[in-house]
Amino acid sequence: MGLAIVRGWQGYWVAVRLGWAISSNWTRPFLFIVYSILRPISMALILAVMYTVITHNSAAARPYLAFLIIGTAFWSFIQEGVSEFATGILEDRGRYHMLKYTYLAPLGFPVFLVGRASSKLASASASVVIVLLVGTFALGLPINPLTIDYPLLVLACLLAFVAIMAFSITLSMVLLAGRDSHGYGEIMAQFLYLFSGAIFPISLLPGPLAWLASLSPLGYWLELCRRAILHGRVYEMFPQLSDGEVLARLVAAVAGTVVLGYFTYLLSDRMARRRGYIDMESSW
Amino acid sequence: MAGTSPSSTSSRPAVETRQLGRVYKSRKDVVVALQGIDLSVKQGELFGVLGPNGAGKTTLIKILVTLLLPTSGQAWVDGLDVVKDYRALRHRISMVSGGENAGYGLLRVREQLWLFSQLYGMSSAAARRRIDELLERLGLAEVGNRTIAGLSSGMRQKMSLVRGLMTDPRVIFLDEPTVALDVGAARDVRNEVRRWMGEDPTRTVILTTHYMQEADELCDRVAIVNRGEVIAHGTPQALKQQVDEDVIVDLQLEPGRPLLDALRAIEGVGAASAREEDGIDRFSLLLADDAVLPRVLTTVEGSGRRVTGLVRRQPTLEDAFVKLVGRSLHEEDSSGDGA
Ligand SMILES: Nc1ncnc2c1ncn2[C@@H]1O[C@H](COP(=O)(O)OP(=O)(O)OP(=O)(O)O)[C@@H](O)[C@H]1O
Ligand SMILES: [Mg+2]
Repeated sequence: MGLAIVRGWQGYWVAVRLGWAISSNWTRPFLFIVYSILRPISMALILAVMYTVITHNSAAARPYLAFLIIGTAFWSFIQEGVSEFATGILEDRGRYHMLKYTYLAPLGFPVFLVGRASSKLASASASVVIVLLVGTFALGLPINPLTIDYPLLVLACLLAFVAIMAFSITLSMVLLAGRDSHGYGEIMAQFLYLFSGAIFPISLLPGPLAWLASLSPLGYWLELCRRAILHGRVYEMFPQLSDGEVLARLVAAVAGTVVLGYFTYLLSDRMARRRGYIDMESSW
Repeated sequence: MAGTSPSSTSSRPAVETRQLGRVYKSRKDVVVALQGIDLSVKQGELFGVLGPNGAGKTTLIKILVTLLLPTSGQAWVDGLDVVKDYRALRHRISMVSGGENAGYGLLRVREQLWLFSQLYGMSSAAARRRIDELLERLGLAEVGNRTIAGLSSGMRQKMSLVRGLMTDPRVIFLDEPTVALDVGAARDVRNEVRRWMGEDPTRTVILTTHYMQEADELCDRVAIVNRGEVIAHGTPQALKQQVDEDVIVDLQLEPGRPLLDALRAIEGVGAASAREEDGIDRFSLLLADDAVLPRVLTTVEGSGRRVTGLVRRQPTLEDAFVKLVGRSLHEEDSSGDGA
């Protein structure tokens, strides 16, 4: 048992290394600049400009601007995590023809995919920092690196990463059934964008969607990120909840997502083997 | 079940299937890729699965390696049920497919192989030793530090074989491992497979191939699969005996009108196949006895084609195949259904 865990851990790190070596933006400067720097910055700036124009840049609107920018900054985690997960499945199958071999490896396919997606944590973190720097210097957000609650921030982000991976696993059936390697990750990330309180509070969603969004861990995670960075000076989605209560909800929602991911994986793995998705070539 | 030994001997079969079947259903059609497959492969055997395009060879391999679920029947590999015990089974097997250019192009050969060994939980040092040893034996030692994108497709295929062998599986499944390789590379692959089996007499290889001669020379036993069914199995020697009684004649003709169907229609012609080489049509005929030959020649002359050569020869596995299947491996299936 102990040995199995050690081996599993080694395998996980190997998958991280593989992701790092073959598809990390970090190792490809051009892609890194486009995807991890220019894109999030322009997303943040577009939102910020629109918002400040609408609100005539009034002082009362500052907490919500901070809400927007921090939400958009941390969005990179979801963007890169989900996309890399999708790439891990679709490129390995269609482009490298390796999916069936990694799938069959005793390590376990989910561990492999999570490892590959983990390789994006570094570039995602870098892009968060860059967007926050832009927010601080170009938009005048009162972010002070010395007053950030780092333990809360890191804990929330780790939990969120677990949730993002579980969520990706939940969607792996869709990916395995997919024929080409483009777009799926993006579409999923966009879908989550609306549900996670990245640019507007989830309470603005229509009733049932708001309820669904309140089950998702992502809103609680972003709330904690905002509070950890700009406590009291940022618009809050859950003003009635203390930090600890938001954290408790985050933990519960992550656990729920993990359970959901586990069972949907069992189902989709079986369906993939029944339908022959694992080594499906685009010609089918 | 002629040719299979009872599995009551000390060792269990490496592979066993019982009425194994697979149907592919799509919105448009239903394809019966395999049906009623009963096979038993002993430990230490090099077992060949031979069949034309679309016969179901790859489907069989995919089921046995747990990539695909069967739609009927059962199968066991190394004593484990491929459906129920698939997780445990994955520790004990590996698979290599030929002709697919697999590999992470940006990685170096050794690097990819090592990464892979770690997904199998091999110790890092042992994996490195094993990889170097296998690369050396397959003549890839020099390219070990090259990126995979820079390899020829033959080198890639050999690298895939290294990946399959390095984890020391109990059973390895090779789906057309020599397809599209040049003569030398194909020989390297075959030699290495044989040698690898020699390291441990209980290691088992299941190999599919299009190449009759490969099956004949390499395999201990062969199953001939056609349209999803095993139509014969046994040692290559035993299969060849099926055509022992027949007279086998190779006929060379100058090009002209199609003749194959007319030849097949002659009484006493058991089977006929044709192939074109360098502008000459070569026909292989299985005749019931010598007395059929004059009738054949009459038919040929009647069609206005000229005979440029005629030899009688020893039976090959190909002849047995043609007799059983009714056509050669490389001929298209003209009967419409199936592939
Ligand atoms: N995913 C699939 N969906 C539908 N039909 C399939 C699928 N895979 C295979 N088939 C069909 O099943 C039959 C058997 O295919 P299979 O690939 O097993 O044959 P094969 O013997 O490996 O052929 P080849 O020599 O060309 O590799 C063929 O008729 C093929 O068209
Ligand atoms: Mg095949």
